[in-house]
Amino acid sequence: MANTQFIGEHLWPGQLGHFFVIVSLVAALFSTFGYLRAVKTEGLADEKTWRIFGRIGFGIHTGAIIAIFIALFYIITNHLFEYHYAWEHSSYDMPSEYLLSCFWEGQQGSFMLWTFWHAVLGLIVMKTAKQLETRTMAIIGIVQVILTTMILGIYLGPDIKIGTTPFMLLRHAMQNAPIFAMPNYLEFVKDGNGLNILLQNYWMVIHPPILFLGFALTLIPFAYCIAALWKGDYQSFIKPTLAWSLACGAILGTGIMMGGAWAYESLNFGGYWAWDPVENASLVPWLTLVAGLHTLLIYRSTKRAFILTSVLLLLTHLLVWYSTFLTRTGILGKTSVHAFTGDGAALTYHLVAVIAFLLLISIVAMGWKWKSLPRIKTEEETLSREFWMFIGAVVLFLASVQISVTTSIPVWSPLAKWITGKEFAPPTDVMSHYNNIQVWVAIIIGMLSAMVLFMKYKHTEGKSLAAKLGGTAAVAGVMTGFIAWGQDITAWQYVIMLFSACYGIVATIYYGVAIQKSKFKKLGPSVGHLGFATVLLGILLSSYNKHAISLNTTGVPFNFKKNTDQETIKENMENVIMFRGIPVAMGNYYATYIGDSDVNGKDKRIYYRVVFERKDSVTKKTLERFVLYPDAFINPKGEQGLSANPSTKHYWDRDIFTYINSATDKSKTDTSTYRSHIVSKPGDSIYLANGFMIFNGFSNEINDKRYVAKDGDLAVKAKLTVHNMQGVKQEINPIYILRDKQYIMQVDDTVLAMGLYARFGALNVHSKDSASIDIQVRQTNPMDDFIVLKALVFPYINVLWIGIVVMVLGFFISLGDVVSSKIGMLKKTTV
Amino acid sequence: MKKTQIVLLILIMASIAVLISVFGDFSSYETFASAAKEPKKSYYIIGTLDTAQGMHYDPKVDANHFTFFAKDKSGSKNKVIFNGEKPRDIEKSEQIVMMGYMDGDTFHCSKIQMKCPSKYKKDMVAVGNNG
Repeated sequence: MANTQFIGEHLWPGQLGHFFVIVSLVAALFSTFGYLRAVKTEGLADEKTWRIFGRIGFGIHTGAIIAIFIALFYIITNHLFEYHYAWEHSSYDMPSEYLLSCFWEGQQGSFMLWTFWHAVLGLIVMKTAKQLETRTMAIIGIVQVILTTMILGIYLGPDIKIGTTPFMLLRHAMQNAPIFAMPNYLEFVKDGNGLNILLQNYWMVIHPPILFLGFALTLIPFAYCIAALWKGDYQSFIKPTLAWSLACGAILGTGIMMGGAWAYESLNFGGYWAWDPVENASLVPWLTLVAGLHTLLIYRSTKRAFILTSVLLLLTHLLVWYSTFLTRTGILGKTSVHAFTGDGAALTYHLVAVIAFLLLISIVAMGWKWKSLPRIKTEEETLSREFWMFIGAVVLFLASVQISVTTSIPVWSPLAKWITGKEFAPPTDVMSHYNNIQVWVAIIIGMLSAMVLFMKYKHTEGKSLAAKLGGTAAVAGVMTGFIAWGQDITAWQYVIMLFSACYGIVATIYYGVAIQKSKFKKLGPSVGHLGFATVLLGILLSSYNKHAISLNTTGVPFNFKKNTDQETIKENMENVIMFRGIPVAMGNYYATYIGDSDVNGKDKRIYYRVVFERKDSVTKKTLERFVLYPDAFINPKGEQGLSANPSTKHYWDRDIFTYINSATDKSKTDTSTYRSHIVSKPGDSIYLANGFMIFNGFSNEINDKRYVAKDGDLAVKAKLTVHNMQGVKQEINPIYILRDKQYIMQVDDTVLAMGLYARFGALNVHSKDSASIDIQVRQTNPMDDFIVLKALVFPYINVLWIGIVVMVLGFFISLGDVVSSKIGMLKKTTV
Repeated sequence: MKKTQIVLLILIMASIAVLISVFGDFSSYETFASAAKEPKKSYYIIGTLDTAQGMHYDPKVDANHFTFFAKDKSGSKNKVIFNGEKPRDIEKSEQIVMMGYMDGDTFHCSKIQMKCPSKYKKDMVAVGNNG
């Protein structure tokens, strides 16, 4: 077996790729060692040499990572299915823009992406960190060593495996499959598995790189905090850490909400946020990061809150690792099946070891310097920015604790079962579980984010503060009342949240315009907070009045009334069946499913055309008409069922969001047959299921691309006019051909919207003047062609998207401000 | 005591109170028999599809009504009504996690999570409302 000579394999890209994995690991070790020596020899002549050692090592490391990328990309683009990764994640028919997405669909590819971003950021830190370079780069080097082991794929003994290589051969991945006993097995591996169809979407191309850049950015504040503790220099780290944290807040925030937009736009989760564990796992680090960013601001201005700042920023990076643990090891998905694949178990231990190691570094660094950490004995004033910002940070932290506790149920439930004997499961109503708690966090943070702007560090004048706060609150109160009345928001806690959001909007605008005089450079905080308050408003408006307009009214509802509360039932009755051509009332609209169409080329989806019409109730005139094209893959990859993508109509103030839940498989259901109708003179009519057809005589002027004339042909077309129920007329001309006086051929004509197929069946000449023809008509039963559709209305969803853009803009304005002031600071300190 | 410490203490106590109060939100995995002890209260039940008895879904009659039989971990079989469209590939599922409540002798289920033996793909498929 071992000596089998396999035919057609391309082994060199994989061997080269694996070689570069090892190079990048060794170079990262080398770099870390160099930088560690540089720290040891700080101030001595050797320091410079060791530092250069470290830099060269990191440069080689980065180059090797790029080489790994190229090797894997070569394998994927050339469809070398002898490699497991290419076979699993790509296929021939995949559009080329998704070839890049294959990288991050798989475990190893996304680790590579993560490593790549760390390396790029590491190069920037190397350039800019100055006196903290040796320490930050040593930490980054250690993390890079760890990350590279994730794609190492080395066996220590038969059972212990470190990492999984992306260059594994298919025949090694599935050693027991008999096909691999054949030297020419590649001839039978015709195509790869391809990208999961749910992921074939442009979001899959841009969302993962942004999100991973956000994750990668958490490493830099982590490295700077450790470096500060290590050096015992609690001053020089402030500005770079602030800048990196702002960048991270912007990018990670963008990445998370891109995920939300993706979920909203293309995955039929029925919304942009579902408190799904995977979503929570990326939100939690963002919350702690934002909290840490604010306590760092406190520290910059007042020298207070150093400990909390370090804890939050160190924790943020650890939480990114924890979120990797939650989402990659399958611990969340198992709910009860504890069966891991071998890879899963290896990855679990690997990640647990990494988290433990990084946690240890953090604890040691803090514990070691615990006594000398900057502290201030005196108390802050109640009317000071730092006091309320501190509280805000703690609230954000506690919010992330709550989200983590619920998300981590599968992690702690074995322990809880051991203690209580009860097997804990996630809440049955996840949405309201989180919403009921987090609404209070939103209220507190919304209020604080506006209030703190008006306060000054250390001391604030009470009277003028009260005047500003009171004035803006009054305006916000009016705005709240107006919106609550207009949008019919009545639940009291959501009215408070609405006030909090309105207050945030009014106060930040007032602060930016009246107090900061719109000086762009300094507008970061007010713009960021304005964005945050707008996000809150958008969430509230779009979720509170989100409703289905596809309520099921045609079906036979079962008697729920005596069973359970109405709400859950409503949730479940949001699918409506639509037969082709039969209008269904949906909200203000009449929606009609008018048929499907597939598109040529690589797009294998079927698009379902659904016409929405809004009519004036009195005049019956159509006021508005649009077509939505929700689409679906029917029986993808031989599986039963369908995989759907939504289609959305955007208005400025709301979205109408539709997706298909079920549809007929045309290849199976069309059982209709042709029926004969004899007509002889013009004006004869044929009745159809949903209209009628009039015979207008013959003609031999044939103008149909499908018919190619040949000598000796006798070709006649029947002229028919089809009238549907709505009074719309359409000409059709089925053709009858007698070739060489013996072969009869027919060319059918169709009216697709009516599912009508007409065939010129036979020509019977009775005498010189009289002839009759047999028109054969087949109509697909409209009841055989239906879709099950869900249509939701999201009011004011654009407020949410605008809020996010504004918030990210705020982060960037602040970043620009910090970076430009950093140059000034460095000039002073490096002299 | 410093003001900050007092506020911290209050916040931490409040959040502990919140955590305890929402502890009741956490559901648990039950069997048909144990779920029947508290009818109309929602639980999760882990089981398998009972293929011996038929399943029924006719979207032309009601697109939100799918009935089937499931066997729970203790091996007892029960009729299940799912208020939604028939999940794709349920015939192939190795295991199904159903969220719902017992009423009489039927289990009314509003969310189904299936584990399918797809060899190389993400193997959990969630069906139902609100993710």
